[in-house]
Amino acid sequence: MKITVNGIPLEVECDRADTAVDVLRDGLGLTGAKAACRTGACGACTVLVDGTPNAGCLLPATAVEGREVITPEGLEHPVQRAFAAHDGLQCGYCTPGFVMEAAAFADRWRAEHGDVAPPRAEIAAALAGHLCRCGAYEGVFAAVAAACAGDFDGGGPPEPARVEAMAKITGRARYSTDIRHEGQLEGAIVRSSLPHARVVSISGHQADLLGEDRTVRYVGQPVAAVAAPTRREALALARAVEVRYAPLPHALDGTPGGPPVWGPDERANAPSTSESLCLPGRWSDANLRGPFTFLSRRGRTAERRLAAARESGDPRLTGGTFTAAAQSHTAMEPHACVARWDERGDLHLQMSTQTVAMTAEHAAERWNLPRDRVHVAAEHVGGGFGGKMGLTGEAVAAAELARVRKAPVRVVLSRAEELACGGNRPGARMEISMLTDDDGRLAALGVDAYGRGGLAVSSMVASLARMVYGRAPRRLRDFDVLTNTPPGGPFRGPFAPPLLWALEQTVDDVAHRRGEDPIALRRRWDGNRKRQALYGWAERLPAWTGRPATGSQTGRYRRGVGVAAGAWQYMVDPATEVELTVEGDVVVARTATQDIGTGTRSVMTAILREELDLPAERVRVEIGMSDARHGPMSTGSRATASVGPATRDAARRLRDAGGLADGRRVVGRRRMDRLGYLTPFPVHGNAIGRGLAGSVHVTEVEVDTLLGRIRPLRVWGGIAAGRIYSERLARSQCEGGIVQGIGYALHEERLVDPVSGAVITTNLEDYRIPGIGDCPEIEIHFEQEGWDHVNGGGVGLGEVSTVGVAASVGNAVHNATGWRPHDLPIRPDRLLEGLSR
Amino acid sequence: MTEPTRVAAAGGTVSAVLPFLAGGTDLIARAAGEWIDLRDRTELTGIAWQPDGSARIGALTTIAELARDQRLRAAYPALAATAAELATPQIRAVATLGGNLLQRNRCAYFRAGFACHQNGGACCPAREGIARYGTVIGSGPCVAPHPSSLAMALLAYDATVEVEGRGHLPVASLYGEDPTRDHLLAPGELLLGAELPPPVAGERAAYVRATGRVQAEWPLAEAAARLVVAGGSVVLAAVAAGGVARTPVRLPEVETALLAGAPIAEAAARAATRCAPLPETRYKVALLTGTVEHVLAKAIAD
Repeated sequence: MKITVNGIPLEVECDRADTAVDVLRDGLGLTGAKAACRTGACGACTVLVDGTPNAGCLLPATAVEGREVITPEGLEHPVQRAFAAHDGLQCGYCTPGFVMEAAAFADRWRAEHGDVAPPRAEIAAALAGHLCRCGAYEGVFAAVAAACAGDFDGGGPPEPARVEAMAKITGRARYSTDIRHEGQLEGAIVRSSLPHARVVSISGHQADLLGEDRTVRYVGQPVAAVAAPTRREALALARAVEVRYAPLPHALDGTPGGPPVWGPDERANAPSTSESLCLPGRWSDANLRGPFTFLSRRGRTAERRLAAARESGDPRLTGGTFTAAAQSHTAMEPHACVARWDERGDLHLQMSTQTVAMTAEHAAERWNLPRDRVHVAAEHVGGGFGGKMGLTGEAVAAAELARVRKAPVRVVLSRAEELACGGNRPGARMEISMLTDDDGRLAALGVDAYGRGGLAVSSMVASLARMVYGRAPRRLRDFDVLTNTPPGGPFRGPFAPPLLWALEQTVDDVAHRRGEDPIALRRRWDGNRKRQALYGWAERLPAWTGRPATGSQTGRYRRGVGVAAGAWQYMVDPATEVELTVEGDVVVARTATQDIGTGTRSVMTAILREELDLPAERVRVEIGMSDARHGPMSTGSRATASVGPATRDAARRLRDAGGLADGRRVVGRRRMDRLGYLTPFPVHGNAIGRGLAGSVHVTEVEVDTLLGRIRPLRVWGGIAAGRIYSERLARSQCEGGIVQGIGYALHEERLVDPVSGAVITTNLEDYRIPGIGDCPEIEIHFEQEGWDHVNGGGVGLGEVSTVGVAASVGNAVHNATGWRPHDLPIRPDRLLEGLSR
Repeated sequence: MTEPTRVAAAGGTVSAVLPFLAGGTDLIARAAGEWIDLRDRTELTGIAWQPDGSARIGALTTIAELARDQRLRAAYPALAATAAELATPQIRAVATLGGNLLQRNRCAYFRAGFACHQNGGACCPAREGIARYGTVIGSGPCVAPHPSSLAMALLAYDATVEVEGRGHLPVASLYGEDPTRDHLLAPGELLLGAELPPPVAGERAAYVRATGRVQAEWPLAEAAARLVVAGGSVVLAAVAAGGVARTPVRLPEVETALLAGAPIAEAAARAATRCAPLPETRYKVALLTGTVEHVLAKAIAD
């Protein structure tokens, strides 16, 4: 077949069943277009066909025969520089697709309207076919508007907001899904079709992925794997694998008395939904673990006060039951790993991970290798959000297949696998009680939380209420409700969004009952000095001072403004080291961390350039390799606060050593904070530092009471995380946190079929993440004081920037309508039903 | 554009009649296997205007073309608006009228590969499981709403479709309650195009789509309306709805009420009379009447 790609006429071989994106990626090695969903929903595979943007995953290869195709690698357009300058990207995986569409739109717009910035709605409509899980939409809006106005017509590259921006924008950046070695095979995973069963036999497979107990405990659990030269052949082999099951009774709805997910002697095998630790807990029923009450404060006092108030019908007692749906991580780059065993017997894993160092440790344990014989690399990572930690299933499958087949093997999860088994923030039910005293102070707080992490345990939703509202007595009880469904896991600010959904709306209820301004009430209750500054900022916002009286509107469209506070621990990896080597006239920095889209590479580069007074081309940061000196995981908002000070220390050591002599090598360390840490010694490279990061979100919504749609119009995000390392990157991350919070509030709901136990939200139309049209106008405000005790003066903000967003939406809906939503997401059906009551 | 229908042959072997491929946005996404490519049938592309003002739209005309064509937008504004609001720009650039009319439903169970009525099974897992996005009108064993927004708009325009070898048929005759399929064409039957009668003098029209997110979402409910108002009263009313039943539906009770002079909200409320909600789709009664109310108000305001 003849096609012209990026101006070059080519003859390519293709199968009738191939899609254009497969021919470009696998046949021609042009991996800028990403096959992220394969149903035309995400737009990451967009290419221009005779000038028109097309979803490459829905185009049969034969449809581009004789036509002119431009891929991200072949585009030259001012929009690219605009994306770099305005930071219209984070992890960058969806970015080439956005850029292709934006380029075509900008040309069309300027031809019709001249060099003027289009209205926001026009840009949103043009980019409706693209999804960005990082939520870089504000940067995209700014970039497209500026490009249409002609701001980037001049040739030279602008100073990009992140160092690898142009590589990502032009599709040259290689992600794990894009790697292809000579002789590489494609792997596919065979998954359980039953929610609970003993596997009697497997045939037709190449690698066995079952544990010693030969038991599957959820639909979708990896059972076996196969590899073949092409993805299509591998999928065909996988379908031909025969698995014989002896079904076991299963529990899907979590009602007491159901058949146990874990037998009494198997409970220690239950995975944890937390980042690292599994909290101790007793089992009060076969499938009910808990209560875990350790983080209560004067729990018996709280309990006594709440019980007395309940008994006497005390009007100062407020509370209710709130629920939150499970949320799928939905990183645009699916879990992907290329595994290879070299002639020395070393294992090489090139994978999409947030934890190169920990993954190497786990792999060494799994295959009984010395730690230095495992090499994990993650040059670019297409989003993580907590879902890509440790030795994940695709890596196990790839490494096992590579060993059996004696060839490099790539395993990339399909979007359906990703959405079903790629990780989720567990759903939860919260029962909350709040009692105030005669002076309107918080007298007692009770939170019972039931986490639904499938077959995983260690929910901490209630326990996080330890972090907020001073020292008032509180009884906090966490439970796990176990089911034969895929394990939940850590997800950006684990457990905080559902807690705050319940807590911050109940605080608003107290304020409402007392006739007190909700921010003023929080000011009184909240002992956190850094958040006090944010309250001062928030209560002066015109949107806040001008908000309507709750329930005062009667028209079809009603506007409301809501607030929510949030808190998050400050975590750091105290063992972080950064090595600098002078190679020629370039300073190269190395540490075993990775950049999942937060901008770690750029933060390190900026520090080195500042300390050593070097131009961009004389600094290179090489991260994403486990062989380097110890570096932090990109989880728990700890990467920047860990590598930042270590990078600065290294730069100063290099200066002190006499400057940039070729071959000179120094190692910088992350020196301890002035007051030390709360944790006596680091656990899994993690120390909990002193102080809590704080947030206050103010959200304005418009509620369409006729058609049940809630539209967030504007969000103000106030963040108190100390000194900001990079203003633009920090803002991007906080904006993305807001977009994800809006998804959690309004759209996202991972659905499990109650009969079969299978996840049914297996594509990006049924699992609904916010698109660019759903992105409100966002303003971010940083309070930078209060972290002088921290080495570097600042802490992470990836998590605190998202945890309270849904609650602020809930409070805004209540302000607009007088109806209090209790269940997440606030779907149109729930809103219509709530308003009709 | 038609669906693969497996025909059990003698001796238990199975042969397949291949589906037609138009834009491919549904067929490829479902990885439904082999197909017969229609894309060289250029005679099926484009809009032809007849002397009486009626339009014939070829089955392979893209949705983008329907949304963009100036004359179509003037003559059949509700059809053009429906085309402009469905899916996304990239889908609209390749998806076709014929493919839209004959695409498969969007039930999550069907898409996830459950062995339901639509997938060769004999049950409706949505009915037993999660039916929130299901039908609110009709009580067939399958509860997947019909996915074609354009079919609903054509229904409002009293359009006909042309099927190879069978001539012109009312658009409604393409659809039925059969739980095993989303249209009634036989395997191998080819849809050639649609014909819309000439616009009525003075008619106004509108389209409304109710979704959770702002764009790129299948409708929870949708409606198209055409009205002629003369001397303060409605003299022509055509109202159709989608996202609510196994087929696109006309709402004669709403039309009758409008012609009888009922206010918009009251006429729209009549749509509820034919609803038979599932426990989980009760909200769609209010959503349907709300959508109809909005589309009528929008049509009158135009």
